[in-house]
Amino acid sequence: MIITSNLSKKYNDDIVLNIEHLDIPKGQSFGLVGNNGAGKTTYFSLLLDLIQPTTGHIKNNNILVHESEDWKPFTSSFIDESFLIGYLTAEEYFYFIGELRGQSKSDVDALVAQFEDFFHDEILGKKKYLRDLSKGNQKKAGIVAALIGNPEVIILDEPFANLDPTTQIRLKQIIKDLAEKHGVTVLISSHDLSHVTDVCERIVVLEKGEVVKDLATSTATLKELEVHFAGTEAV
Amino acid sequence: MIRRFLSLEWKQFTRASYFQKGLAIKILLFLAVLYFGGIAIFIGGVMFFGLKKIFPDIDPIVMVNNYLIYWILFELMIRYFMQQLPVMNIKPLMIIPIKRNSIIHYLLGKTILSFFNFISLFLLLPFTIVLLFQGYPAINVILWFFAIMCINMSINFLNFLINKSNTVFYGIASVVTVIVALRYFNIFDVTEPFGILFNGLYNQPYLALIPLLLMIGLYKVNFDFIRKGFYLDGTISKKIKEARATDLSWMDRFGSVAPFLKNDIKMITRNARPKQVVMMSFFFLFYGLFFFTQSMYIERMPYLLAFAAIFITGGFLLSFGQLVPSWDSEYYKMLMSQNIPYRQYLESKWYLMVFAVIIAFILSTPYIYFGWDIYLIIAAGAMFNIGLNTFITLFGGALNRVPIELNSKAKAFSNTNGFNPTQLLIALPKMVLPIIIFFIPYQFISFNAGLIALALSGALGIVFKNFFLNKIEHIYQKGKYKTIAAFAEKK
Repeated sequence: MIITSNLSKKYNDDIVLNIEHLDIPKGQSFGLVGNNGAGKTTYFSLLLDLIQPTTGHIKNNNILVHESEDWKPFTSSFIDESFLIGYLTAEEYFYFIGELRGQSKSDVDALVAQFEDFFHDEILGKKKYLRDLSKGNQKKAGIVAALIGNPEVIILDEPFANLDPTTQIRLKQIIKDLAEKHGVTVLISSHDLSHVTDVCERIVVLEKGEVVKDLATSTATLKELEVHFAGTEAV
Repeated sequence: MIRRFLSLEWKQFTRASYFQKGLAIKILLFLAVLYFGGIAIFIGGVMFFGLKKIFPDIDPIVMVNNYLIYWILFELMIRYFMQQLPVMNIKPLMIIPIKRNSIIHYLLGKTILSFFNFISLFLLLPFTIVLLFQGYPAINVILWFFAIMCINMSINFLNFLINKSNTVFYGIASVVTVIVALRYFNIFDVTEPFGILFNGLYNQPYLALIPLLLMIGLYKVNFDFIRKGFYLDGTISKKIKEARATDLSWMDRFGSVAPFLKNDIKMITRNARPKQVVMMSFFFLFYGLFFFTQSMYIERMPYLLAFAAIFITGGFLLSFGQLVPSWDSEYYKMLMSQNIPYRQYLESKWYLMVFAVIIAFILSTPYIYFGWDIYLIIAAGAMFNIGLNTFITLFGGALNRVPIELNSKAKAFSNTNGFNPTQLLIALPKMVLPIIIFFIPYQFISFNAGLIALALSGALGIVFKNFFLNKIEHIYQKGKYKTIAAFAEKK
């Protein structure tokens, strides 16, 4: 589904990302981990054509991301709060995204209704603008908006950060279902090793812009990751 | 303690992104301040002689006092829309051991240095000096000046309350409406009692005590107001307004651009900055009054009327349009990764500007009073605005990469959002082009030929709409990454 070849991004002389080859098949739940500055957000931004690659390219469903806009209809994402329109209420925002993705109001209502427990009654029908919601609630609204319109690829940057425990558990279930039952390719990044190992079939570790580990998740994965990040690998 | 605050302010000032922009902007801003300051001083200086000449029977100081109330109301209005509230970044100061009172005193004291306080000073100080030189009694004049300055400061503090408290805002707004209405329907002219009041200040200098007490009183009220709300959930945190639901489904008839149009309407009605711009563009409607009331322009330089016509119907186009992608800067990344063709986005902005021109044109109907020629030139100007200026504006937007904070008012003279040399350069053809298009046929054929040429150029623009939009889209596409990066920069 998503093929990355020879991709690199340089700022001045600093190489912040350098991926020779990465192939993410359709329906995979893919996790990206790495310390701050490892290049996770850079990779996602390149996937969404928000920054220009220095070399190489990404193909999303055989569409060259930095040349055509045709990947947009089946790709959705939530990277940070700048993906929200602060002066809209959550409902209005969902309808707006729905309209962009060719969904009727009732389609959106039906989808959002599935996440009522996810919202804890704090987001819908509150007559509050998104800018006035707490960080966690903003994130919830952004993640749900990314699910509108049956996308085939969903990209979520740090979806677990700022969320309360109940929602984290619920979100893990949602992501798993998307990949397993609906064949959606889900890409997430996280600092929380146990969450990614719970959710993702495959985990890639980035370090200083390079892929240093590419693991199929198993019972041993969490341990392996913890050892890796503790820096005691030599032992 | 005050010294520390000052050093913090200085750092905030010098390290702000607008300050670190080019030297050219700094010079331009400086010139603008000089220009307006200079005008105020000049008017203040010649006011005495001018009034004496026009109304030889009335003492200029009496004349000034009679109409001072209008100046005060005007100032109040301008301040309400333009003056930024003195917000120091207070959160980090709350938990460190500084006395609350000294923070509040500092906060309020800072407002004294606001540009708006200096307008009155620049205007009235020269007037006062002239009065002294003309041999008016020194004590009366100086204390009068002092009293007016106290009133000036009272307005300054009042503005804070108006901005922070809805009750005060509606109270003042209704009083002002009543005053204007009474005067308009000739029921009661408040000019007179206020005139008597201000003249009283002059004749009985010791009465200057009253404005002084008023100022101190308002300071105290402000102080208590902030003191009371000095908690995170109080005055300092931003007001959380209840969302108003607006049903804009009637706009769905505009097809694929409808979602954007609906969104833009919400953006304008729910954010401070665009509201301010729309207010300003409303004032543009009255721009024609400067020109059409003077026979000099109509008889000898009618091509300058084309210039006025552009402004009358193009207020929104010029002020809102020139910041086009910036309005969406807060969520530009989302727009760029969502299922949105760039073309549709641009087209929706085009429609928005066209609507605004049409509305302004309808509102400009009363100009028929000045004759059909005038009205026709406004119509031709509107055509030009729709057909060409919209595209020039969108084109200029492609070069504009300054993020806007939607929900905070623009500060006068300290906010350079969207103010850069490129913008000025782009603004030039918007105003000069219609004059040229009108002038050439007018000079060689007739007034009507000029009108037709102007209208026709606009019509041509509409015919070639797709061509222009394609070109503009291409430019936006090329600058996409730069724009995203610039909008992501935090101020």
